[in-house]
Amino acid sequence: MEISVLQHLASGNVWSSLWPELSLGCLALALLVLEIVLPKKSHDVISQVAILGQMIILGFVLFCCHSSDATTEIFNGLITLTKTSHIMRVFFLLASIFVSLIARVSLAKQTMPKVEFYHIVMVVSAAMMLLVESSHLIMAFVALETVTIGLYVLVSYSRESALTLEAGLKYLVMGALSSSLLLFGIVLLYGVSGNPLLAGHTLSGMHYQDLGNFLNLNPHNFLASVGIILVIAGVAFKMGAFPFQIWVPDVYQGAPTPTTAFLAVASKAAGFGLLLSLFHTVLLSYSWLVIPVLSFMAGATILFGNFAALTQTNVKRLIGLSGVSHAGFLLLGVVASATIPMALGAVYFYLFSYLLASFLVFCVMAHVAPAEDANQELSHYVGLARDNPFLGAILAIGLGSLAGIPPLAGFMGKFFVFLAAYQAKMYSLLFVAIIGVVVSIYYYFGWIKAAFFESSEQDAGAARPARTEVCWCNRLIFTLVALATLGLGFYQGALGQWLNW
Amino acid sequence: MEAAIMVNLMFTVFALVTVIGAIGAVLSRNTVNAAMCLLVCLGGVAGLFVELDAFLLAFLLILVYAGAVVALFLFIIMLLDVKGSLGGINRNFSTVASLAAVALIIAGVAAFLRNAVLPTPNPASVLSVGDTLKSYAELLFTTYLLPVEVVGFLLLSAMLGVIALSRKST
Repeated sequence: MEISVLQHLASGNVWSSLWPELSLGCLALALLVLEIVLPKKSHDVISQVAILGQMIILGFVLFCCHSSDATTEIFNGLITLTKTSHIMRVFFLLASIFVSLIARVSLAKQTMPKVEFYHIVMVVSAAMMLLVESSHLIMAFVALETVTIGLYVLVSYSRESALTLEAGLKYLVMGALSSSLLLFGIVLLYGVSGNPLLAGHTLSGMHYQDLGNFLNLNPHNFLASVGIILVIAGVAFKMGAFPFQIWVPDVYQGAPTPTTAFLAVASKAAGFGLLLSLFHTVLLSYSWLVIPVLSFMAGATILFGNFAALTQTNVKRLIGLSGVSHAGFLLLGVVASATIPMALGAVYFYLFSYLLASFLVFCVMAHVAPAEDANQELSHYVGLARDNPFLGAILAIGLGSLAGIPPLAGFMGKFFVFLAAYQAKMYSLLFVAIIGVVVSIYYYFGWIKAAFFESSEQDAGAARPARTEVCWCNRLIFTLVALATLGLGFYQGALGQWLNW
Repeated sequence: MEAAIMVNLMFTVFALVTVIGAIGAVLSRNTVNAAMCLLVCLGGVAGLFVELDAFLLAFLLILVYAGAVVALFLFIIMLLDVKGSLGGINRNFSTVASLAAVALIIAGVAAFLRNAVLPTPNPASVLSVGDTLKSYAELLFTTYLLPVEVVGFLLLSAMLGVIALSRKST
């Protein structure tokens, strides 16, 4: 190959466009350097550096790089930067900051190495950004594997607990299975698209747009439909959607609380980001297959998540199963977005409201949790509102938003998704979703009831773990997030305009 | 003509080595022997790749699978000192699985025998993919540079994870 050709190829590698991911990666490396350089007693600074550094990156992303409607393709078609990728960058940075904040509270109760946790969280967040930006199956798979392998480590992080080990093993096996399903689907799609006997065959079958064009020309190919089903199955594992939600309760319970938060919010959102970018380029060519499959998944996920959560007394299992049901609501929005463009905005708004509400709930969980992280029972919350009104209020706002109680952000998120589903004429799914919401209010209020209306005199004998006091800067952050949850319920304009409905 | 006979002969040899190695890996009770049979099987597959002119694949198979993965298997087998066979439930399960696999193979062969003529595309219309080491390397350092860099981060965080998980708590 001539040197000029090489130069032409290399000129597509616009590294500067990926500066948020690169600076997250560099920050992650800097933490490791700090761990070596700093004396052992001042290691607490490292987590502060991690959080502050990410906040600075978030500030730059928010204010210094304005999101344009233009779509730019860089790295020879591996990465496509759009408005949505900008939104998801903000989302994953926020999620990463929140998880680091929870980790500061939660890891302080444990005796595990701490710096590596922040490092891996940041690397995984950067990989999640790349995942939703990628427009090429190879890039998407590499980013997804970086996410998954980082999460294997984070799930089994508190190695000394038997439940954590069980969770780590289950997540490892399930994650490997889902990756192999996804890879098999990708290989089938790539192989079919390169078949010279078919119309429009292409060598660049890994590229979303080229693959979509090929599938449009061959709308009923058997192998391609098998490939598409396998790809959906692989992504459904990440989202925790039926019938691939089996791992959720055990893994969520066993994983350390910050990891559970990361799995519940960022990993789920990464799955949805990948699904959305595939949905509108590749999968919609096979809408005769994809729409019924995803609709069934949405309905079954909502029903399973909500009914299984009804009987849980461990709050981590409860929040995991409620997360499954949230995946179902989001899938409803994804299916609706096939015909209604407004549904896309609804899905992103839902993701943001879910992020804020989950953060509030997980923060309270991190403060209430006993030293044995996996055993967080509903009974630990008895009398929380009386002993610590601040945490009680935060919990009530978070759970209320998750349940979709007006006037909180979660209500508007559900409302917009349902509105989109109504406009897309998906009446039967809408009916299922409303049943799901009604059921979900029952178990969310069981939790709130434990915190607010049950007095601790009833079980004075039961040992309750000591709760961590909330430091002033966490108080400030929680209050801000709670206000944002409340504010977004009243006024979606800022976010709504930004999401461009 | 001579070359065709030679190619056929080599194919037969490599295919036999592959199949015998695979059967040995499945049937041998001793786990070390099973791993060794897997090694033989992989060698046979590599030979088949060479016959298809896929030199890089053959090389990678030997280097990565035979060299690293099977060596890792052997380490773990010797470390754990596994003896004896699997329990009853697993035995039943593997019987069912192998019966299913046999049924699939028979179905495949039957389908092939019934319509034995595969569609042959016009060779000119088949787009050629680079298969030499050089063309792979050029792709890795130009078009796919970003995934390669990301894999670097993947390996780093995996290594850190192993260290963090295996370290004694402070």
